[in-house]
Amino acid sequence: MKNRFQITARLGALELLAEADFSDEFIMVSGENGAGKTTLLRCLAGLEQAQGQLMLAGRVWLDSSAGFVLPPEKRHLGCLWADTALLPWLSVEKNITLGADRVDQIWLTRLAEQLEISALMQRKPHMLSTGEAQRVALVRAIYRKPVILLIDEPFSAQAPAVRQRLRSALKTIQAELQLPVIMVSHDAEDARVLADQHWRMREGRLMTEINQQHGVIHDAGERLA
Amino acid sequence: MLESLVISLQLALVTTIILLLLALPLAYLLAFKTFTGRTMLEVVVALPLVLPPTVLGYFVLLMIAPDSTLGRAWSSVFDHSLAFSFSGMVFASVLYSLPFAVQPMQQALRAIPRSWLEMASTQGLSLSQTLLQVLLPAARGGVLVAAALSFAHTMGEFGVVLMVGGSIPGETRVASIALFELVEMQQHSDAWLLALILMAVSFVMLSLVYTVNRQGLNFGAGK
Repeated sequence: MKNRFQITARLGALELLAEADFSDEFIMVSGENGAGKTTLLRCLAGLEQAQGQLMLAGRVWLDSSAGFVLPPEKRHLGCLWADTALLPWLSVEKNITLGADRVDQIWLTRLAEQLEISALMQRKPHMLSTGEAQRVALVRAIYRKPVILLIDEPFSAQAPAVRQRLRSALKTIQAELQLPVIMVSHDAEDARVLADQHWRMREGRLMTEINQQHGVIHDAGERLA
Repeated sequence: MLESLVISLQLALVTTIILLLLALPLAYLLAFKTFTGRTMLEVVVALPLVLPPTVLGYFVLLMIAPDSTLGRAWSSVFDHSLAFSFSGMVFASVLYSLPFAVQPMQQALRAIPRSWLEMASTQGLSLSQTLLQVLLPAARGGVLVAAALSFAHTMGEFGVVLMVGGSIPGETRVASIALFELVEMQQHSDAWLLALILMAVSFVMLSLVYTVNRQGLNFGAGK
């Protein structure tokens, strides 16, 4: 599926200017702190107001010229942010299946095994380590089989050995569900193992630096300006 | 005496239930939405806090009088008038205790982390799912405080219920009015007992409020 966006947004001092098209592939976003990586993901999720066009999974999500914005709850997203936002009164399992009409136990069990949270399913969030909570939130994002996965440093709290296993698990899941993944990471190993495409952000601009399939180098920011 | 106490408890219970249902959408609007007339709504909700109860009672009486629109509509459906009835007192009590229900809920909703609301939307929860599965459990402390305060405040009404209810024995004579009349009739031992009971109810309710506030049953703030 072809996905495409061309968006601008202004948030405080940051001016976001981003354009890209991509298929159902693994995209790694890097850049310095404050370059707008998280903002880009939040704009794609619809959590921040953006102008421009956004087409995803064959659907229009944003078309400013027509005054159209699809709200986040209708976008069928899978998101993971620095704040895992697990609800403290629900068990891990209930957190993951929150909002689902019925529970696909087979799928849930498999995901839990792949992302190493099987033993945690009946625990409450306060009984989880930061790393465990992060994995639970990742399972929650994937469980609903979203049309896109937007994950902001999903392995930041993981020990190196776990991180390595999670990488390959995530790659397997992405290939199986055939969904686009946009992942923010500072880890060069993440990029090396996972990335089909690499986006680098600088001062709010998205530069599509390395296109591994075509070897083309271009600057999305300049094309827009 | 016992009769008046039962009426008071019934009034407080019915009022509290109606208030919880009514205050939740109001608190939701005030906590999360910006709209024209928002300040106006907040002022109207808070008005009973500072208004003399007799003023509120007087306006309610005008609103529900047998020749008013509301009064006529009511007596055409039910075969009694709204003024000087239990239902009329419920109507007045709901208005009178509205801020005590809305404000704790509004505060509890405001304390919910934004990330939880964002999670609810990116996980595709509908408005009712968000309300029932995220907002209400997160703000349950506020709901409990709202219920306790509404109940206690309704038990403690005097001016409004006297104005609207008219102190009809066995119908609209609530405990606080009965106490006044007992004192006037110099029945001191009954007055003393009734006053003690009313004091105890308020004490228990406020203890509940302060316990909830200290233990932070609202998950939102910290945890």
